Amino acid sequence: MTTAFIILLLPLVAAASNLLLLRKKANFSAFVSTFSAAICLVLTFGLIRQDDLNNLGSFNWIKIADLKLDIGIELHGLGLGMILVVTLIGFLVHLFSLGYMREDAGKARYFSGLSLFMFSMTGIVFADNLAMMFIFWELVGVSSYLLIGHWYHKNTAAEAAKKAFLVNRIGDFGFMIGILLIWGSFGSVNFVEIEGSLRNGNGNYDKGLLNWSVFCIFCGAIGKSAQVPLHVWLPDAMEGPTPVSALIHAATMVAAGVFMLTKVLFLIEVAPTAASVIQYVGAITALIAALMATQQNDIKKILAYSTLSQLGYMIMAVGFAGLLSGGEVLGEKASNAGFFHLYTHAFFKALLFLGSGAIIYACHHEQNIWKMGGLIGRMKVTSFTFLIATAALAGIYPLSGFYSKDAIMTIAANKPLLLVIGSFVAFLTAFYMTRLCVVVFFGRARSWSSEEAKEVPLLMLVPLLVLTIGAIFAGQTFAYSWFVPSKDIPHPEGVVLPLILTAIAVAGIIAGFFLYRGRDQEPYPVQVLSRKFYLDEIYIILVRIFQDAVAWVAKQIDRLLIDGLLVRGVARLVTEIGSVLRGMQSGNLQGYAFLFGVGVILVLYIINAAIG
Amino acid sequence: MPAYYLEILILLLGFTMLGIEAFSSNRSRSGIAVLGISGLFVVLLFLIIAVPSSEVPYDYWGIYHVDKWALFYKAIAILTTLLVLVLAKDFSSAFKKYTSQSNEFSGIGEYYCLPIFVCAGLMWMASAKDLITIFVSLELVTIGFYVLVSFMRRNVGSLEAGVKYLVLGALSTGFLVYGIAWIFGVTGHFDLSGIAEALNSGEIEKKPIIFAFALLMVGLGFKVAAVPFHIWVPDVYQGTSMPITAFLSVGSKAAGFIVLLRVIEPFLNSPLTSSSVILILSFLVCVTLFFGNLVAIKQTNIKRLLAYSSIAHAGFLMMALPAMESGFHSKLIGPSPMESISFYLAGYLLMTMLCFLVITIVSSLTDGENIDDLRGLGARSPLLAFAMLVGVASLAGIPLTVGFFGKFLLFNIAIQYAVFSGSWYIVAFAVLGASAGFYYYFKIIRAMYCGGAEQDGDQLALTISTLSRVVIIVLLAGVILCGVFPKLILGFL
Repeated sequence: MTTAFIILLLPLVAAASNLLLLRKKANFSAFVSTFSAAICLVLTFGLIRQDDLNNLGSFNWIKIADLKLDIGIELHGLGLGMILVVTLIGFLVHLFSLGYMREDAGKARYFSGLSLFMFSMTGIVFADNLAMMFIFWELVGVSSYLLIGHWYHKNTAAEAAKKAFLVNRIGDFGFMIGILLIWGSFGSVNFVEIEGSLRNGNGNYDKGLLNWSVFCIFCGAIGKSAQVPLHVWLPDAMEGPTPVSALIHAATMVAAGVFMLTKVLFLIEVAPTAASVIQYVGAITALIAALMATQQNDIKKILAYSTLSQLGYMIMAVGFAGLLSGGEVLGEKASNAGFFHLYTHAFFKALLFLGSGAIIYACHHEQNIWKMGGLIGRMKVTSFTFLIATAALAGIYPLSGFYSKDAIMTIAANKPLLLVIGSFVAFLTAFYMTRLCVVVFFGRARSWSSEEAKEVPLLMLVPLLVLTIGAIFAGQTFAYSWFVPSKDIPHPEGVVLPLILTAIAVAGIIAGFFLYRGRDQEPYPVQVLSRKFYLDEIYIILVRIFQDAVAWVAKQIDRLLIDGLLVRGVARLVTEIGSVLRGMQSGNLQGYAFLFGVGVILVLYIINAAIG
Repeated sequence: MPAYYLEILILLLGFTMLGIEAFSSNRSRSGIAVLGISGLFVVLLFLIIAVPSSEVPYDYWGIYHVDKWALFYKAIAILTTLLVLVLAKDFSSAFKKYTSQSNEFSGIGEYYCLPIFVCAGLMWMASAKDLITIFVSLELVTIGFYVLVSFMRRNVGSLEAGVKYLVLGALSTGFLVYGIAWIFGVTGHFDLSGIAEALNSGEIEKKPIIFAFALLMVGLGFKVAAVPFHIWVPDVYQGTSMPITAFLSVGSKAAGFIVLLRVIEPFLNSPLTSSSVILILSFLVCVTLFFGNLVAIKQTNIKRLLAYSSIAHAGFLMMALPAMESGFHSKLIGPSPMESISFYLAGYLLMTMLCFLVITIVSSLTDGENIDDLRGLGARSPLLAFAMLVGVASLAGIPLTVGFFGKFLLFNIAIQYAVFSGSWYIVAFAVLGASAGFYYYFKIIRAMYCGGAEQDGDQLALTISTLSRVVIIVLLAGVILCGVFPKLILGFL
């Protein structure tokens, strides 16, 4: 049993014991989960210091003929960074939840869900093959479903959970087909083995098919990382408890799509068409989500759209891995840039969500920013950490977001259009975050709930402060060089790009500040943005049309052909010739028999056509 | 012990039960069911322990073939029948009001005996390798079902279902016999190996043999519920009693598939016929997937929903059939079509029976068969609701259930075959169907967990007999364990 396996299995043990044994002892189960998360964090530090990361453990799960699936652990480079993000933020969220969910009736269930999530997410990070990754991929989906629907008696929460689950199924289906295609082409699902046979030129793959495979795999990322057009589930997922939003829907699970793409980097490198699809999907998501964020009024929704937009950034950057630049693909540089942003983003976005959780907690579960105001005087520590995180997200020097955004823009500079989009998104990001801060922290309190707000207990402040340290320093070389050398991360050449980007961010902040200072309600309502480009409505209509159309067609076949035309037609015929079976339901049966005959004729006809 | 003893044991069991039913004074007849269940269990043990699972196939008298597939499908048949008897026992209280005037159990004894004879037929089907044996065993099964389907003789729906099944079944049998006659006329053989030789001899004409094959497909398509020969399925499933629906849906389908697999093999391997056969199969797969899944979306009656789901599953299973083409065989990575289909059917047995067991218990207590009748089940009986949840998740193909792994294997074959032959449209239909599946199975889950029970009658605590409870837990464990460790099933293949 290696350390890595303990990190993987401990949360599962915690989840199982909570669910099976400790359901009645809510406080104790909360402690068990938190304690297991703490141990995982400590073990992760041990794992990071370990020199030899080969042979972390692997056992054969299924072996039948040439179908071989392992449960194996592979942890190199980016995976190390990812596992730290998962266990560190996971632990802090557990800690925060101890305060936030103190009064909740379903506390034991909540903490079992968190532990189950930790188990599944760790499995994704550790997976050494696509099949194992897919299994855990589904498991995070399940735990996310359980946690979004934690307050299932609220109709909106139950609906949101269902939506997240179903939308993700669409993406995951693509993912599964992608995996099967890869397996068919290379005869293996193991990352190292696929890469090996790709480099050796083995495997009977052709370019077109490979592009399709990568695209199908990317579908998994579209679903899980909530990219356009499957992004609709993430904002609704904010119905879940806020710590869950911080952990799952900001820092870790939604980033799993990006992480997965970095794992199959070697495939993206040789699939340029799919790669450019990835870039554009990312860029479009970043832009659309940032636009929508500017007009939201729910504090968590603003952060959710912001997450979407930042995920778009990361996806776009990873997509550049397949771009030829100067005779070589950008490859690792691009994916490192995307992952670097994932890493820093995890800290400041988790901080923003936990901060918003603290605010919501203090304001008696008020989420509308226009009902808040003046909180900076009443919640000094929370406000301070929130503002730091905002600055980091906006990309202000020398906070972590500044560096990772630079890395992404350096990569994006290879395609001028995407650079322009990216810069505009940077402006919008600074703008909507400033809007949020100005409205929430400054001005006057706009309702009793914000008047009565007071600072949250220490248990909830500690995670905020720890994350603040991360938000400030995560972009520094010492904070990441232990898993990816600084030279492998693209840095802008010269000072022009950083200066321009900083100017853009500052412009966004200034615009946000002056437009929203002293306002008590949205001064510039833009329907199309606040209604999210009507995408939800369009989807509902599309689904309904599709479903109705399909059901209608099927029903018409059933009714018109079977009932109407054949059955009644035949029945009429039968009646007319005075059959003895008249008057009974047997007319129906005759029609069925007739249709059966039609089926036979159809098959015979096809054969005849085939024989020619 | 030679394998053919198994069927004889089963028949002896059936006759014993009939004898006891005729002369016993036990009014509830539940003893007969218990005898049947334990008898089948013993035969199943014999099959596993006493019958040598030889790798070398052998024949008896040229009509009874034993290989690992035959034994596997015999086991499926016995297990299915055993579970059907468990279902029937649970269902008997709701059932008696349709069988006897005085609301007694007196008319129910044969209901436990007939499935045993059907089981013998299913087992012979698994060993049949010539068209005569196939026909006779198939008829044994079908005639048993004619009676079973209409067994609730005071229920109009059941009678109507019986008549429909009888007439349409007879029709399909007619086509089957006609097809067999054509094949004999063209090739001069009844046994499949002889037919294979004749097909490869280059002496026969293409048109008549394909015509004969198509007629065979009509008869077998009826058995496995493939579109367009599915028209009987929804009405019969809905009309008949729940245990028989389950029996039709699992037993009849599994045995139909082993016969189908055996029959199409020589046709797929002969260069003369393979391209046309693939075309027919591809057509049937696409329409079955399309129709089964999409019509299921709008169903509100749970038996009808499962009927269309059963059609859809036939589509998924048939997806692997074209890939049995001989040229593709060496290129496939992973389990062969035969293995994958068998795995899927074994998994299908577990998950379908699990669902039917839950529905049977719920409906025999509440007398309702609509999805809405499951409302609030999560609160009323967590075990039943959880069992149903797992069963339905498995039918939909959620990972870590046996249904997922089955779909995984079949999609693997379909996708690799599409790469090989370019038949991407099959994969497209399958993806469409599977996604629709998530949607309509989810409706059941939502009904169980969202929305509490509204009427007072729904507040009734559900009583589950110990036997059912054990069986539910065993099936539940089976669905999950075989999903995590597929080797548990694949090890037998």
